[in-house]
Amino acid sequence: MSQDKQVLAGELQRHGISRRSFLKFCTSMASAMALTPAAAVEMAQKLSTIRRQSVIWLSFQECTGCTESLTRAHKPSLESLIFDFVSLDYHHTLQAASGEAAELAREQAMHENGGQYILIVDGSIPLKDGGVYSTIAGISNLDMLKDVAKDAAAIVSVGTCASFGGLPKADPNPTGAVAVADIIDDKPIINIPGCPPMPVVMSGVLAHVLTFGIPELDALGRPKAFFGDSIHDRCYRRPYYDRGEFAKSFDDEGARKGWCLYELGCKGPITHNACATIKWNNGTSFPIQSGHGCIGCSEPDFWDMGGFYKPLSTGTSNPGQWAGYALAAGAAAGLASAAVNKAAKAKADKVHQPVTIEDMGKK
Amino acid sequence: MTTSFEQGINTLKRVIDAPIASYFSSCTRCGLCAQACVFYTETGDAKYTPIRRVEPMRRIWEQEYTAVGKLKKLIGLSKTVTEQELEDTVELAFESCTTCGRCSMVCPVGNDIVYMIRRMREGLTAAGLGPKELRAAAVRTLETGSVMGFPMKTLEAQVRAAEEETGIKINIDEPNVDYLLLLSSAEVMQFNEIIAALAQIFQEAKVTWTLSSTAHEAGNPGMHLGSSEIEAAMINKIVEAAEELNIKNVISPECGHAYMAIRWEGPNVIGRPYPFKVYHIIEVLDKLREEGRMNTECCDAERITFHDPCQAARRGGVNEPQRNLLNMVSSNFIEMEDRKACNWCCGGGGGVNSIEKSEPLMDKVFHRKRAQIEMLDVTTVVTMCATCRNALEEGAEKNGMDIRVMGLTEVLANRLLKEKKS
Repeated sequence: MSQDKQVLAGELQRHGISRRSFLKFCTSMASAMALTPAAAVEMAQKLSTIRRQSVIWLSFQECTGCTESLTRAHKPSLESLIFDFVSLDYHHTLQAASGEAAELAREQAMHENGGQYILIVDGSIPLKDGGVYSTIAGISNLDMLKDVAKDAAAIVSVGTCASFGGLPKADPNPTGAVAVADIIDDKPIINIPGCPPMPVVMSGVLAHVLTFGIPELDALGRPKAFFGDSIHDRCYRRPYYDRGEFAKSFDDEGARKGWCLYELGCKGPITHNACATIKWNNGTSFPIQSGHGCIGCSEPDFWDMGGFYKPLSTGTSNPGQWAGYALAAGAAAGLASAAVNKAAKAKADKVHQPVTIEDMGKK
Repeated sequence: MTTSFEQGINTLKRVIDAPIASYFSSCTRCGLCAQACVFYTETGDAKYTPIRRVEPMRRIWEQEYTAVGKLKKLIGLSKTVTEQELEDTVELAFESCTTCGRCSMVCPVGNDIVYMIRRMREGLTAAGLGPKELRAAAVRTLETGSVMGFPMKTLEAQVRAAEEETGIKINIDEPNVDYLLLLSSAEVMQFNEIIAALAQIFQEAKVTWTLSSTAHEAGNPGMHLGSSEIEAAMINKIVEAAEELNIKNVISPECGHAYMAIRWEGPNVIGRPYPFKVYHIIEVLDKLREEGRMNTECCDAERITFHDPCQAARRGGVNEPQRNLLNMVSSNFIEMEDRKACNWCCGGGGGVNSIEKSEPLMDKVFHRKRAQIEMLDVTTVVTMCATCRNALEEGAEKNGMDIRVMGLTEVLANRLLKEKKS
């Protein structure tokens, strides 16, 4: 974790990354985030001239899955180089230093880059019983978050735990876990939920923050570029949903034919993420493609949404009473019209006479 | 009844059921059915767009069964169907439509246009507008028991000839056997070698079977006329014969529309389930092949192809048995580019080949089939429908094509014979 103030262009060259492939990376990042084509060039120019950005990564009540997702994503790539390039000054899973030396590194980074560094958080923060359920170097997560957030330029909450409380917050929430945004309200916070989040979303958002600043966010603080559409809207099985063709169990004929997994509890319709378009493991697949419904891991309280295998019984919005009245009125009108039509047909039946051999011209 | 314009209109009102209502309200006028229709592709005339052929029925549906249509009729925006209009529709629903069902298959909203055409035909027939050739065929079938109007003794003579040729006794009205075999008139009069061929194949496979003196005709002009009543009368003859002889399996011969009538439409038009099963002859032969009960010589190297009859393959679902059988006897079976459910119609089915007025149009649309065949450079075209066979033979002759047309059963029997001789 050196403090080397190199520019990115030179760093990439030393790693044997050509300008061409760097531009390709910027273009794919820009298109993944639905930026204009010109933004790719701008991003490339900015990225190649920026100096190493100091990043402090705090891990609270978490399982390290988010870090795994990021670091074990796939073969060493430009994404990971971007992470290599940022000055990851503190990350207690990845850093070599331990104990007091580690905490010293954090304090030093905070002191040297005050107001400049980006704070990344994964894991939720326990508040119950004075926050005793998770401490680092004797400091409670709550105290450490407040302390480090004070001089941060921006905060990125990585994973559903940091974004929305996640699994630790699941009912009955024994530790009183909360999200970063429940504690910090005076800093820009970007939520990158997912259990874990997609690697490319993390690197994409970071690239955006480094070049253009905070990306456009939705109501839940998620970058719209990646969380704008629901899984359902982008799902390749969507045509089966529209045709009403649903797998009824995991090994029935419908499942084998790749029909919609809605009735098996898929939460795709209420989940916003980029899995269906970008996919996992270098674009190989995503849960629905391998036959399992979406569990909705990038949504708040996904753990308490009534069971992963229980189908969503109603839409995401309450149709309201007016809809009930409209339905009843429509049904009544339909019945009345059907009765009239039935009478018309009955009349036709009554005057009908069968066609006979004589009608065919028999002499 | 006495057929009349009023009866025609009344029948059209009567036959509009829930499927037809949903078909009309689903049609987006995309025009894909036109591209699928050989009468449109070969003439380029938009009047042959399949869904347009049932336009009078669509207007009756709209005016009688939809609120908007009732209103439109009231204020004069939608004209009622006239006698002249029904007369003009005869050309579209009868003379230029083989009910091949390519349109139904490609329809993106799943409209079964053939079903609608048949009901349109039902209305026209009730209006007394059914083509005279089809009406005459219906009279012959009901009176003599044969579409071509030959008496039972003609079939008996053919049976005797086959017995003499093969030395095998052929049953007539034999109860409690495995199969009741139906024949088409064309098979009795033109392609009578099929009787001897089947006698040999069944003898070899130890299958017991019989013909019926009251129900030997598989053809059903009632279906072509769209008349459910005439169609049911013909189906009932077969059902009664099978019940009387206590036979559990009925074989529909190498005839496309017969298979459609007896196999798929029959129980619906007579209004009760059959106490027996119905198979296309090629399905039966493929079953014998599978069970190892039919031994043929392998393999002829002559270049052959197969023409899938619309009613048996696309509409009836018999797509694989013919291929299994052909591959058993041929080492040089070449598939047509469009085949199975996508095959192009021969141009003669659905009653078209019997309507005199249709002949010039039939000749014109045969060009599609001709192009399909010539592309393959084959010597023989095999099929499994007497109507297709007639249309292919006629087309080949008129166009000077150097090909032979054969029925699949005959092809198999020939290979069987060779083995026996050797």
